[in-house]
Amino acid sequence: MSAPVIVGETDVATPTLRAQLRRSSFWIIAGAGIIVVAIVAVLVSGGANVAGRALAGDNPAPAGSMALVEVLRQQGVTVTLADSLAEVRSLAETDSTVLLYDESSYLVDSQLAQLTRLAARTVVVAPDFLALQSLAPTVGFGGVSGAESLVADCTLPAANRAEELIPGGDTLSLPADSPLMGCFPSGDNTFSVVANDRATLVADLRVFNNENVAGYGNAALALGLLGQSDSLIWYLPTLADLPRTGPPSLAALTPGWVTPVLLLFGLTAVAAAFWRGRRFGPLVAENLPVTVKASETMEGRARLYARGNARLRALDALRIGAVQRLASTVGLGHVAALEEIMLTVAGITGRTQAEVRSLLVEAVPTSDAQLLALSDALQALECAASRAVAAGVAASVSQQSLTDPAERMEP
Amino acid sequence: MTISGRFVALVALGVVPIVLLGNTAPVAFGLLSAWLLLVIVLGGIDLALAASPRALTVERMLPARVRLGESVTSGLYLSNSGRRRLVGVVRDAWQPSAGASTNRTPIEIPPGERRLVSLVLTPFRRGERRTLQVTVRSRGPLGLWNRQVTLNAPGRIRVLPPFHARKHLPSRITRLKELDGRTSVMVRGPGTEFDSLREYVRGDDVRSIDWRATARRNDVMVRTWRPERDRRVVIVLDTGRTSAARVSDEPRLDTAFEAALLLAALASVAGDRVDFLAFDRRVRGRVQGASGAALLAQMVDSMALIDPELIEMDWAAVPAQVRSITSQHALIVLLTSIDAAGASTGLLSVLPQLTKRHTVVVASVLDPVTVLAAGERGGRDEIYRAAAAERALLDVARVSAAIRQLGADVVTDSPAQLPPALADRYIALKAAGRL
Repeated sequence: MSAPVIVGETDVATPTLRAQLRRSSFWIIAGAGIIVVAIVAVLVSGGANVAGRALAGDNPAPAGSMALVEVLRQQGVTVTLADSLAEVRSLAETDSTVLLYDESSYLVDSQLAQLTRLAARTVVVAPDFLALQSLAPTVGFGGVSGAESLVADCTLPAANRAEELIPGGDTLSLPADSPLMGCFPSGDNTFSVVANDRATLVADLRVFNNENVAGYGNAALALGLLGQSDSLIWYLPTLADLPRTGPPSLAALTPGWVTPVLLLFGLTAVAAAFWRGRRFGPLVAENLPVTVKASETMEGRARLYARGNARLRALDALRIGAVQRLASTVGLGHVAALEEIMLTVAGITGRTQAEVRSLLVEAVPTSDAQLLALSDALQALECAASRAVAAGVAASVSQQSLTDPAERMEP
Repeated sequence: MTISGRFVALVALGVVPIVLLGNTAPVAFGLLSAWLLLVIVLGGIDLALAASPRALTVERMLPARVRLGESVTSGLYLSNSGRRRLVGVVRDAWQPSAGASTNRTPIEIPPGERRLVSLVLTPFRRGERRTLQVTVRSRGPLGLWNRQVTLNAPGRIRVLPPFHARKHLPSRITRLKELDGRTSVMVRGPGTEFDSLREYVRGDDVRSIDWRATARRNDVMVRTWRPERDRRVVIVLDTGRTSAARVSDEPRLDTAFEAALLLAALASVAGDRVDFLAFDRRVRGRVQGASGAALLAQMVDSMALIDPELIEMDWAAVPAQVRSITSQHALIVLLTSIDAAGASTGLLSVLPQLTKRHTVVVASVLDPVTVLAAGERGGRDEIYRAAAAERALLDVARVSAAIRQLGADVVTDSPAQLPPALADRYIALKAAGRL
């Protein structure tokens, strides 16, 4: 062992935070840029291609009604968007107008009655069967209008200002002697707008949506109907209006801290992963030696023999080994001829020459059992030969010792 | 930066205030964010107060060499040049086969002081074992967040071949000494030289009585002889692809190292000059002109870095290499493998060139598994295995016979027995004066 060597001069492999930031600045800037571009793109497109709810006051899509709501607001009308009847109840004043469009028929009889009581005026867009039953039981559906043009033809001021309406929409039918006022007739007692002093039913919803509001007298009718008072409640019923039945939901039963605790556990798991997963310095590489067993070739050859059922070839290999060992056992050199070895072995072991010849040369195994038997016989022959040689040596020694004593007497 | 288990526990502890005080969802969420803010602020303060491991300087104290199987202590001096007390853990990144006992050492270094981190290394592979870096984790006073920095501090240690065969050396040296002064059994020949005269004792060969000296001394004197000294021994090691094969879980190359070292030690004691050459297609290691203790030291040093190469041995270049080492008659020991006849053609083709001028011994490891397999005849598979083993042994026997026919000597034995067998053959050759 030589003397210890001192190695000095250390430098730091881990980059500082500043260096790390500088190195990854490109990616940070690129990532920020992508996020900014994404946000701008979303803002610019404004969700125009998003369908949204029909006639929703905050929906700029063709089916929405944002245009109408914005114009009303510019005219000084306070437009409030409401999602449930409870909201309408809290917002309603004595002189409010309510627009109702119940696309999915959430409201039931009692709720509709309550709604008409809440506001001074109610405009019902595309009323369904239940709404008709509740608000104007005599009014029925009139099918799609077949008239070329729809002209006001009534005393409703808003309808008169509008003069003409978009043709081809739904209509409502009135009985001949009805006290209700029908406007925009399509013949056969069918009208696009039916009104009494508190409620106005507009059968065609296209009058209000962004796509068609600017055409014909649509805008005039809509603004005239909705702009009668200073406050307008834009009410589209949602699931919240459905009456609750059955037991309270799971969310209502769980205490408020459950979600935060779950979140905390998730964060704890992340922290634990970082704690256990952080490597203590870089990995160390090392070239490892390949383990090749020298006996692999022998095993491979054995498998080849076995797969090919090379019985004779295998037996010949065993025979050559046995013959060589026998030759050295009986004292013949490794250059001795096979005939000579067989003769000697037969003589020593007391077997017939034919037997030894068959075992060492001639027998051909036709089954694995025969191969096993021949291999055992080879081993037996080797044993017998070495035993016989050992016995022969012992005999000659004892013979010598028998003849010796006379000579041994003299030193 | 890293975090500790304590920090994880602290985060989890936020459950208590959230459950106790957060009855409604908004309050609970508020508590959650407040708690997270608190733990992050605590962690940040802790990190800011931890001593910077960048202020450390590292010095190593390493022995240059170690014999395989032995242990050494690697010293690592860490000096804190910062202003804060550094408390933390150090990892010295040794390669796995350097056999570091435990490479997570807790340390505490006050500012301006130096501490020693010692590590016991017990390498389990030969060659050069390296470490490149030292990683230090510095803990803050609260033990929440740590600073972690990796410092470049390269170190290396050379692991030498074990030379287990040295246990055979004393007995062989004794036998070598017995050759000195022997008279009766010694064959006097060109390899022996006259040593001294001494009185006749019973048992001495009467043919070695020196009658002239007897007449002068009035006592029967005999001449004694000693084996020749200052012969050349050239050990050529085959580091080609066959040397990678494992016999008894030891590569052939390592067995060859053992045999070469034992032979070199013995020959240098006997006064012969030993040269060593490791070769496949180019020279992998060479020791020339060294003697005594320096010879073995240089040999193990050059052996430490030799690994088997995945290329065929270029036997045709060996005679030229030998000629470059010596032009005199020498004992050439070729440590290689004797396999099938086909794989040994290269060796057989150059042997005549070598045997013409030199005494050549070819030493090879014999796989004990093959010998055992030849005797096992239990079932069908074992019979075929025995047949394959017999065939392999037959191949070895045929190649050995061919080598003998070309005038070289063959030594084959199991890995444990090959080094002493080769040493015995050397002693026998020396006794016969064939060097």
